[in-house]
Amino acid sequence: MRGTGTRRRGALAVVAAATLALVAACGGSAGSNASGKITLTWWHNANNDPGRSTFKAVADAYHKAHPNVSFKIVPMQNEQFQTKIPVALRGNDFPDIYQQWGSGSEATQVQSGKLMDITSATSSWISELGTAPSGWQVNGKQYGVPYDLHIVGFWYRTDLFKQAGIDAPPSTMDEFNADVSKLKAAGITAVAAGSKDRWPDAFYWEYFALRECSQDTVVQAIKDQKMSAQCFVKAGEDLKSFLDTNPFQKGFLGTPAQQGAGSSAGLVANGKAAMELQGDWELATMPALTKDKNFADKLGWFPFPAVAGGQGDPHTVLGGGDGFSCTANATSACPDFLKYVSSASVQQKLVTSNTITLPTNPAANASITDPTMKTVLSYLQATKYNQTYFDQALPTEPGQALDSAVADFFAGQGSASALPKSISS
Amino acid sequence: MSQTRILPSRAGDSGSAGDAPVPADRLPPRPGRHRGGLRTRLELAVLLGPALVLFVGFVLLPIGVAAYYSLYDWNGFGPLTDFIGLGNYHKVLADPAFQQAVGHNLIIAGLSLVVQLPLGLGLALLLNRRLHGRSFLRLVTFAPYVLSEAITAVTWALMLQPDGFVDQVFRAAGLGDLVHLWLADRGIVLYTMFVVITWKYLGFGIILFLAGLTGIPPELREAAALDGATPWQAIRHVVLPLLGPTTRIWVFLSVIGSLQLFDLVWIMTSGGPANASGTMATYLFDRGFTRYAFGYGSAVTVILFVISFAFALLYQRFALRRDIDGALTRMAG
Amino acid sequence: MSGVSGMTGVSGTGRVPPTASRASGASTAPARKPRPRSAGTPFAYLAGLVVVGVTVIPLLFVVVGGFRTTAQINDSPAGLPHPWVWSNYADILTSSSFWRFMANSALIALVDTGLAVILGSMAAFALSRYAFWGREAVYALFTVGLLFPIAAAALPLYLLLQRIGLLENPLGVAIPEAAFALPITIVILRPFMQSIPTELEDAAVMDGAGRFGFFMRILLPLSRPALVTVAVLAFVTSWNAYLLPLLVFTDQSHFTLPLGVATFQSEHTENTAAILAFTALSMVPALAFFVFAERRIVGGLTGAVKG
Repeated sequence: MRGTGTRRRGALAVVAAATLALVAACGGSAGSNASGKITLTWWHNANNDPGRSTFKAVADAYHKAHPNVSFKIVPMQNEQFQTKIPVALRGNDFPDIYQQWGSGSEATQVQSGKLMDITSATSSWISELGTAPSGWQVNGKQYGVPYDLHIVGFWYRTDLFKQAGIDAPPSTMDEFNADVSKLKAAGITAVAAGSKDRWPDAFYWEYFALRECSQDTVVQAIKDQKMSAQCFVKAGEDLKSFLDTNPFQKGFLGTPAQQGAGSSAGLVANGKAAMELQGDWELATMPALTKDKNFADKLGWFPFPAVAGGQGDPHTVLGGGDGFSCTANATSACPDFLKYVSSASVQQKLVTSNTITLPTNPAANASITDPTMKTVLSYLQATKYNQTYFDQALPTEPGQALDSAVADFFAGQGSASALPKSISS
Repeated sequence: MSQTRILPSRAGDSGSAGDAPVPADRLPPRPGRHRGGLRTRLELAVLLGPALVLFVGFVLLPIGVAAYYSLYDWNGFGPLTDFIGLGNYHKVLADPAFQQAVGHNLIIAGLSLVVQLPLGLGLALLLNRRLHGRSFLRLVTFAPYVLSEAITAVTWALMLQPDGFVDQVFRAAGLGDLVHLWLADRGIVLYTMFVVITWKYLGFGIILFLAGLTGIPPELREAAALDGATPWQAIRHVVLPLLGPTTRIWVFLSVIGSLQLFDLVWIMTSGGPANASGTMATYLFDRGFTRYAFGYGSAVTVILFVISFAFALLYQRFALRRDIDGALTRMAG
Repeated sequence: MSGVSGMTGVSGTGRVPPTASRASGASTAPARKPRPRSAGTPFAYLAGLVVVGVTVIPLLFVVVGGFRTTAQINDSPAGLPHPWVWSNYADILTSSSFWRFMANSALIALVDTGLAVILGSMAAFALSRYAFWGREAVYALFTVGLLFPIAAAALPLYLLLQRIGLLENPLGVAIPEAAFALPITIVILRPFMQSIPTELEDAAVMDGAGRFGFFMRILLPLSRPALVTVAVLAFVTSWNAYLLPLLVFTDQSHFTLPLGVATFQSEHTENTAAILAFTALSMVPALAFFVFAERRIVGGLTGAVKG
């Protein structure tokens, strides 16, 4: 179950996840009656607070300013959302506004013909959001607008690093491996991995690919859906040597990423593992997984280390974001509402309420207070290139195939040379 | 009127055949007096019509549509234009992950026969004795069958976590050496799954066998005992043969269930790690719904059906023959 | 298709229970003599104990876990509540959403079960006690349904429900579920009805009851054990269904218990104890229903229930 949404909110519900991501949907389509009153049906996956009530407040405020527009909000558990949206788009009963992660999966959904082209409706203001919205374009047309950004890096326990005698976070893979040895020697699980969910595994290979391959090579490969360059094989070999150091907790292949204290995020939150490669949502996920109210004080963040001899810029980051799409049924009220969500005041409200961690509108950056998040933000601002997670950047089928192949690789199956081919099989 | 139904339906065949002279093989169940006639046709329409409409409309039609999709390369969004004939089928059958999945289904089916059959039969024989609290026992053994697969899977996944409930109990019992990574070890996970499956479905088998045993008149075993047979011999030579129909229907249901195994596996492992616990149905789900390869997933549906169907036909041909109705009848009453 | 019909033992070609023997046998069967207890009895008790233990422990894990705090569970997964915590259960029992989920589930399960049993018994009546051309083919058609899980047709089914306007409607779940329950219902009922003696039907017709009268007043009451069995199967399947309700319902006020459990889990992901309590409570109705029905099944099995 993909999508940064899952990742960010740690939703989980085994049951749902589980049971079937099959199907379905239905929700009203934008009713617009003679008196010009409009009701927008809005599906989002923030079914927990603070997101749930914050989005409600945002909608209420918009309604107050535009009395003819009201909302029917359907907060949906993430796995249920993932199941219902594709089916809804195949039918005629789809929402007016819904959660959208952009890139490849958006391109897949655009084929349904049910998404609204909001290029001209957004052209006057979207540049305020910088380059991020380009990830929500398909064939040069805007089909969605992001409301927050994500970035993947290592979250680590400063207390455990100290305990193992590590003074500063590593900046190269050699240093990283040395730190893993130190942590293990101190009896500490070095790295937590949530391999049951597969997508966290993919971050490793994708980062190795970003370090080994030049930016152009990666961009072209994703565009062509063909990863034939040798550097992609090299990425797999790097991953293999890393896995050979046995950095993970016992039984990591069966560990979920975000559910319960025994998940990979839970292990770090509870001080049972020293670090994890995860998105910025890690910080928002953890309070639910530990009784330690002060866990955030013990956390630090560092970017994925540099790889010696690689062609890629060591400052390139892997990330993505959450956004919303409008559908063909919606009126121009929909893009106008997205403009409102992107405005500085709403973005600030989203940040201060902890609904999001990294805003798309830079005007809201000042609202970030957590010191670690400030580190993350400044790193993001300094980076030259932000690559969308490969599984999201690629169309859904090859993206998921890649995740599976990397997960298999973590379990000792497959070869470094076969990995890049998984997307074109 | 309960007498009518409790009557051991095999008794006529095996013992007191005196008044069961009809070699019924080809006899229509009812005489022809209901045949023909407008009124009869009307009655049939009223009786059969609603069920047929419902069944064809909500079961066969959607499945037929899915089979149609399987001929296309289609992600479910765009128009259905990319006709590729049997292309999806070739790809599915050539995929090692699918081949592994078929193997896992067969292993589960085989284990069920080797482990659950004797276990269920043995427990049914024990529970068929006049024990205090027998109905409580039956209730308890059947309880897991009533729980949803989702609840079962969530519960077991929690218990099987590393250092979780199961590990703790093993260690407390001095069996710490037996502790494994139940869901994370590629060599173990399928067998862990089998244990959970057995927990969930064994009760159903026991009830089925108990029903079968009820249909065997105690007189037969008593007669065997009078002839000097030991209880074991009585079971071996009298009870087991008479349980044949029940056994065969159990095998049928068990194998079909094994071939369609999905929920438990999907929730507990998603078929992982690295397909080590994947089944045909989890493969179907992964391709069709996680990857949006909808035409491809539909092809897997059809292959899954063909395999089930082939098994059903072969089994009918060589083992089942005419048993099912008798066995189910007795299960019911 | 004829092969299929054979597959499920269709009795047109199959064993027609010799009705005469059934009827006369009836007089001997009720002989339920107390049998002497054999030497193996202690062993039987032991085995019974083991079975109960293995079966019940996971259930207890859920129920007892609901009386603990999440911290207790994390510290010692196999421990007992210390102290006992009632708030998990109390919170859920006093929340209106839990009861609404349950009412929705109950409504759908009842409609589903009612439809499957009524339509299934009518069809089984026609298929067992009428002779007509194509009968075995019709029966075979139904039996093919045994080989499909509902997931196989999820997307087309969704589109169909949308077209006929049954989304967000309990019937949109109950009707397809009933349709998927028909094969097993008919496969169980038909042979049962077939085995009921012709003489009874003849007598009923002579009394002027007609065939419908025979069906309503004699055949159905006689088939009660089989009807209870198919009702239990349909009810349990419906109660536990996840996929179809997910397909049909978006509005949380329409959710069934399985959807509610999933939603509750995602909203309380940190609170393992509350999740266990919710899970335990959602098992109760299905188990209670079974306790009720099981007596009847066992009754049917042992002949203790007078029909």
